[in-house]
Amino acid sequence: MPSFDDYNGETLIPPYRILDLTDRRAAFCGRLLADYGADVVKVEPPAGDPSRRLGPYPDDAPHTERSLDFMFYNTNKRSITLDLESPAGRELFRRLAADADAIIESFDRRYLDDRGIGFDALRAVNPGLVMASVTPFGGAGEWADYLGDDLVVMAASGYMQITGEPDAPPVRQGNEHSHYPAAQYAALGILAALYHRDFGDGDGGSGTGQHIDVSAQEALITYYTDAHPALLWRRLGQNVTRVGTNSTLVIPLGAYPCKDGWIAAGVITPREWDALAQWIHEVTGNDEVLSDAYRGGNQDRAEHIDIITAMFLEFAENFTVQELFHEGQRRNLVFLPVNDVADLLADPQLAESGFWTDIEHEDAAIGTLQYPLGIFHSDEVAPGKRPAPSLGADNLAVFRGELGLNSAELAALRADGII
Amino acid sequence: MTSTARTSSIARTSPLAGIRVVEFGPYVALPLTGRILGSLGAEVIKVETNKVLDEMAFIPAWSRGAGQPEYQRGKKRITLDVRTPEGRDLMLALAGVSDVFMTNFRRNVLDRWGIDFPAIRERRADCIIMWQTGLGGHGPYYTYKSFGILVQHLSGVSLMTGEADEPPGVVNTSYSDYHTGVFQPAAIIAALMRRRLTGKTATMESSIFKSGVATCGPALLDYQVNNRMPERRGNRDAYAAPHGVYPCAGIDRYIAISAANDGQWRGLRGAMGDPGWAAAPEYETRIGRRRNETALDDGIAAWTRPQDSAELMGALQAAGVPAGLVAQGQDLHDSRHLQSRKFYQDTRYWEAERGVKATEWAEGESVSWSIPARLSETPIAFGEYRNIGADNAYVFGELLGLPSAEIARLEEGGVIY
Repeated sequence: MPSFDDYNGETLIPPYRILDLTDRRAAFCGRLLADYGADVVKVEPPAGDPSRRLGPYPDDAPHTERSLDFMFYNTNKRSITLDLESPAGRELFRRLAADADAIIESFDRRYLDDRGIGFDALRAVNPGLVMASVTPFGGAGEWADYLGDDLVVMAASGYMQITGEPDAPPVRQGNEHSHYPAAQYAALGILAALYHRDFGDGDGGSGTGQHIDVSAQEALITYYTDAHPALLWRRLGQNVTRVGTNSTLVIPLGAYPCKDGWIAAGVITPREWDALAQWIHEVTGNDEVLSDAYRGGNQDRAEHIDIITAMFLEFAENFTVQELFHEGQRRNLVFLPVNDVADLLADPQLAESGFWTDIEHEDAAIGTLQYPLGIFHSDEVAPGKRPAPSLGADNLAVFRGELGLNSAELAALRADGII
Repeated sequence: MTSTARTSSIARTSPLAGIRVVEFGPYVALPLTGRILGSLGAEVIKVETNKVLDEMAFIPAWSRGAGQPEYQRGKKRITLDVRTPEGRDLMLALAGVSDVFMTNFRRNVLDRWGIDFPAIRERRADCIIMWQTGLGGHGPYYTYKSFGILVQHLSGVSLMTGEADEPPGVVNTSYSDYHTGVFQPAAIIAALMRRRLTGKTATMESSIFKSGVATCGPALLDYQVNNRMPERRGNRDAYAAPHGVYPCAGIDRYIAISAANDGQWRGLRGAMGDPGWAAAPEYETRIGRRRNETALDDGIAAWTRPQDSAELMGALQAAGVPAGLVAQGQDLHDSRHLQSRKFYQDTRYWEAERGVKATEWAEGESVSWSIPARLSETPIAFGEYRNIGADNAYVFGELLGLPSAEIARLEEGGVIY
């Protein structure tokens, strides 16, 4: 276990040293660990992480220090540059790995082994090392060498099969959703392995590290367990498919247009239906809605879907999203706004519950931005407030301060394009 | 070398052996948290009652309870009606011998039952508390109701999905629950580390709402910096082309193809047999392909339409093109790749029936996934699936020291029920 003498619990995660070799498909893993206290060092090629060359940028002007994509996925990390393609770069990496607690990587599965810096080689110099590898289809199995990005993983996991409208092709969830599940499981696995090494195994810690294999395909399959795709096939020989914005079984359930946007509503219990019917009647004067024919539980209205949807739309168009949301909730109904990113940034609940972390950027073109780091609210610990690092910002601290390289050696490495 | 080969033959303890967790609440995110912690070796004790069954046991309709092993395995399960004074005392006694207490009940409900957090800390000062909420435990929405599938709208994700001017794009699942369900065990393990190092405990409040918004991505920054809303592009990408799903032979069959660079495009062109149309100069560069995407997509779709999506995926991958069939349940269930990784495993379950004690439910066979973080030295257990109330004797007798006559009396009185 590293020495945590200076750690007083001001962060949730102790300051474990973690080397982050991931691309944007798994960068969220290191971010989660860094936001909550780990010392995550992003190891970038000398030209910088490829996502630095990916927009959006302020005013759409490309600039490697201003990629909002890079900034989002790399808060609270440090940055060093290192060319893993060169023998000298790999030697420095071995020295860094000797003192690291964990490594996260998302290269093709043989990349590090082929360069002599895979898990087995590194654990020989650091038996306590934990290493998580995130790949599209996992480190073993028939598809282990298959290539995949967000779109391909979303397809091959079946997540796309249930996204979109029933009469249209499958659609990608627009937030590059596959970047999160695998990264979250990798972070979980790293913490579990470090706990075992330092605090588990009969309490004194096993002292040994381990390798963690995370398949993005598998991770995303577990994120739509509601739909039970394999189970439905086994039991009924049926395949799950897309249901669209609104349910055809539970009415109303889904998103419906109103005065200034969309309201999400879901009416499940008989009591909720009665409350909604009464409200529709108050607003529209419609008596039909109070009919006994429509009363009952969530599937009792299925045969009346057209008329009920029409009555609901006629009612909803009288209100704004916020009016329906708050009055609906006051009437004990599950009414929720369909938010866009502007709505989220203005939402009072998120603002008051410490969700947004204000991060200052020295670059005036960026200024202070709100980041969604406060996943947990706690009086005892809070996420860090450091922006994503500039390229190689911590080269001196790490290479000179920790590895003890002198100025001449650093200059030579720089001249050779290794750092 | 594969992970399997790395697994040492020396049996070791699981990472969280010796940690005891009380799980108190229904649905998806909280039980998933318990399953993960239990599969990592913690002793997770789920507190529930036959009197108010988890609604999730009645979904899906094709077999009540068949989906429950996916959320509830790897735990000990006891029945306790905490609404009775004796039930409340037993719950607090259990918290008193536990490292972690986690619940998703609302504040006013916990207060009504007398299971508030100060009462728990009175029994065990360093108990780590995870309080899972829907929209937040404090703040303007703290009394508001929500449920799974609709939170994707609240979280901003549905208005980033699909095409411009279409209704919000929906995934048919409880979007944010899974994020919360995996964030929580990670935070709990970190809190256990922190407690070991500093002696300090922590109370953490999560929300399904916040877990969803955390995944909105760089669009949150783009709006603040450029005042720009995310563009709804369907399956297209801001940079790569081709990038989409294309029809294949069969009903509702598609393949996703994504060529991020010129090399992958040439691989695709070769796999298509170098048709004349694909040699057009406008397709030579990424920007050219992006600008002429509609014609490009039409050309590719005409080629994929008669083909089998699984075979095509193999052929394209062999040509170095990122491609994946849009998997259906059958593909996942029968996947040789997933089978070789033992991702799905068989499990028993009990068919849920209202008004009938769980111990009387009929047993059946189902299938459930394995937790997708494969640790080489301390493999995460698939975990046993136990029935509601199966561990009453262990927890009330061995752990809390109640004599069997006392347990019988409490069962009779509907407290342990």
